[in-house]
Formats: sequence, structure tokens, C-alpha cells
Amino acid sequence: MKNLDSVFAAYVIGWGIFFVFFLSIARRTSALRAEVDRLKNSISRPK
Amino acid sequence: MTKRILLGVVAIALVIVAAYANFFVAPTERTMGVIQRIFYFHAATAWAGEMVFFVCFVANLLYVWKREQKYDWLGVTCAEVGIACITVVLITGPIWAHPVWGIWWTWDARLTSTFVLWLLYVSYLLLRTLIEEPGRRALLSALFGIFAFLDVPLVFFSIRWWRTQHPAPVIMGGQGSGLDPTMSKVFFFNVLVMHIFCVFLIVERYILEKLRHDVDLLQREAEVQ
Amino acid sequence: MALFSNTATLLGKELRTEFRSRELLTTTSVFILIVLVLFSFATNPGTEEAREFAPGLLWLAILFASSLMFQSCFLREQANDTLSSLRLAVSDPFAIFLAKLIANTLFLLLTEALMLPFFAIFYNITVWSQLPILSLVLLLGSFGIAIAGTAISAISAQARMRELLLPLLLLPLLTPVLVVSATVTGSLLDRDPVIQWKGIAFLGVFDMIFLTALWIFGQYFLEE
Repeated sequence: MKNLDSVFAAYVIGWGIFFVFFLSIARRTSALRAEVDRLKNSISRPK
Repeated sequence: MTKRILLGVVAIALVIVAAYANFFVAPTERTMGVIQRIFYFHAATAWAGEMVFFVCFVANLLYVWKREQKYDWLGVTCAEVGIACITVVLITGPIWAHPVWGIWWTWDARLTSTFVLWLLYVSYLLLRTLIEEPGRRALLSALFGIFAFLDVPLVFFSIRWWRTQHPAPVIMGGQGSGLDPTMSKVFFFNVLVMHIFCVFLIVERYILEKLRHDVDLLQREAEVQ
Repeated sequence: MALFSNTATLLGKELRTEFRSRELLTTTSVFILIVLVLFSFATNPGTEEAREFAPGLLWLAILFASSLMFQSCFLREQANDTLSSLRLAVSDPFAIFLAKLIANTLFLLLTEALMLPFFAIFYNITVWSQLPILSLVLLLGSFGIAIAGTAISAISAQARMRELLLPLLLLPLLTPVLVVSATVTGSLLDRDPVIQWKGIAFLGVFDMIFLTALWIFGQYFLEE
């Protein structure tokens, strides 16, 4: 079928963009969660 | 936490179902053939993206009125998710257009106003990176967001009424106008799915914004000690 | 009414400040001239196509000039820290905006009047016969540019990289003005002139929408 490769390209690139976006959110979220834990520990420790 | 995971799972499952429907349930279009199947994904994402920007607009208004942080977080969240959607739209559109009409782009009302919409909200995000103080950043970006959203229909109609001298292919051809009933159902299913997927993205991005705020608070507390 | 008297007073201040030094007017006029000359190098002036592009280039030049002109609008107040005293002096903060945008419109119109003869000469276009309607289009277009420009100037003055930020925020917002003004001006200056009243009405609507938005939200731009 002609143009099937264009169809696949559109879906792959389109969902690729959403995937990259989600990945960047997930990465930043886990980094921040680690930071929150680190800060909470450093605050509760010196007492 | 479990509600979030549930939302994510449901969203992904629905996306897979929609993809199946796009390829195997919807009949092949007579004139364009297989390439038309991009339409379901492309147009549904466009609708969802516009809805997300509308939510951004409402969040901006609510922030200016109530000055509660959560509206600022919702605003920037919706701006980013909206930009992701419109980026997908602006890329899948030309991929669809080129094999069918032989052109990657045309300056018709819909395409141009979509592109300007994208530019405006990218500027919105850039503006936010250039203001340090959180309260000021929230207020000024909300104000710009309001002006930007008011501008978009003006852009659309100005192009529609004054840039149609050259015969340009109506890129979204027969959308809505006499769509086959099965195609119609598949399309609106895609619209629903993309909206749910956007809600999922908004929730995740919003949580990130709230976490940033928590980190700031904790950092200030740690400095005090 | 307090708003109008406040606006009149502030407008007087804006005009006096500018006409004392005239630096904004002169630099903007020269800039538009330079842009027009550069456009003629980039295109092929004197040909029929150039005449077709000329109205668009004219409005493009006005847009670029305005994105430079509005830089100083609120920066001036910041530099001299006069914004707080301005806010105290008026009952309605919208008066500050109204004064500035009327002043900006006047400055734009003045620069346009100064370079219109050059435009007519460079592109061999007779503007004289269409001057009344052309003036109306220039007025409505410039007013729209000034409204958006004054609002964005208030925003960018409070951010970093303001010289780059102002055009970045302003130019996409002004796309409708560019499209409609260029088209209406084009059909006005054509061999068989046509007045596009719908376009002129659209410019009026654009101005009204943004003026109303600025009236509603203006006070928040100037918050401490």
C-alpha cells in the first residue's frame, strides 16, 4: 500500500514527541522527589 | 498515587485501542487511501490541544483574580502540554499533506493560526524563564497568556478573510463534512482518548510544578537552620 | 471625569518629554527609512512585483520600528523610578496606560507621516489621492500596534533580556494587524483603488478588544 510508510512515520513521530515529553516530566519528577527527601533528612537531622 | 497510576494505565490502554480503531476499524478513504488514517490522530490532537489552551486561559484569569499559586501551576502545565499537542499537530499535518497534495505547508487560516498559537505559547514559556520572582512571574505570564488567547481568533479570521486569494487546498478536506458514520465514530473516539491522555499529562506535569514549589520551601527552611 | 483629566495631564508629560529631546522620533524615523532601503535591496524595486509587496513592506517596517520604539516606554519610568509616583498621582492606573498609548500612537503616526513621501518615491506609488482613507488605516493600525506595544512594554520592562523579549512577545500578537493593514493598504494603493471597509472595521474591532482587555487588566501590569 502506498504511503503506508508516511502513516507510520506520522504515528511514530507524533507519539514519540508525547513520549519524550512524558519522559522529561518523569525524569525531573524523580530528581525532585530525591531532592525533597534529601532536604527533609538534612532538616530533621541536626537537632 | 494509585489513582495516578490508574489514570496512566487507562490513558495508555485507550490510546492503544484508538490506534487499533484508526487502522483496522475505520474504512479506507476512497480518494486519499491509507494516508487519511493520520487524520484521526492529527485532528483529535488538535482539538485536545485547543481545549488545553482554553484551560490555560481560564487558569490565567483565575490567577489574576484570586492570586492562588495553584492557578499559576495549572497555567504553565497547560501551556506545556498544549505546546506538545500543537507540535504533534504541526508535524503530522505536513506528513499527511505532502503525499496527498504535494506540498508540505500552506498559509491558510487554520495552519497559520495554529502556528501563531504555537509561537505565542512558546513565548509565554520563554517569558516565564526571564522573570525570577515567582509572584511577578505568575502575574505577568498570566496577563500575557490572556492577551495571547484573545489574539488567536483574531489571527484566524484575519487570515481567513484576507488571505484566500490564492487557491489553497483545504488541508483538512472533508473533516466533519459528510464523514462516513464509522469514520465519524472513530474520530470522536480519538477526540475523547486524546482529551483523557492530555488530562494524564496535565496531572503529571502539575505534580512536577508542585514538587518544585515544595523543594523551594524546604531549601529556604534548610537555609534558615 | 478624573480619568480624562489624569490622562490629559500624563499625555502632556509624555509629549513634553519626547519633544524636548525628540530622540525617539528621530531614531525611529531613520530606522524606518533604513528598513525601507534594505527592503529595496532585498527585493527588485521598480518592478510590478515590488509594487505588490510595497504595502506589506511598509507595514513590516512600521512593526519593526514600533518594537524598538516601545522599549523605552516603561523602561524610562523604571530608570528614573517614577512609576510609583505616577501610580500615586492618578486615581485610575488606566490613565497611565491611556496616556502612554495615545502618545505612542501619535509618535508612530508622526514617523509614518515623515516616511510616507519616501515610501511613495521609492516604490513609485501615488499616495496623495488616497490620503484620507490611508490616514484612517494608518491611524487604526498604529493605534492597535500602540495598545499591544504599551501592554507588552509594561511586561518586558519587568523581565530580563527585555530588548529581545519585547519583539518576541509583540510581533506574534500583531499578526492580524499586519495581515489586514497590508491588504487594505494594498488595495487602496492599487491601480484601481478599492476601499475595503470590512478590513477597516476589523482593525477597529482589534483595537476595541485589546483596549478593553488593557482597561480591565491594566492595573495588574503596574502592581508592585
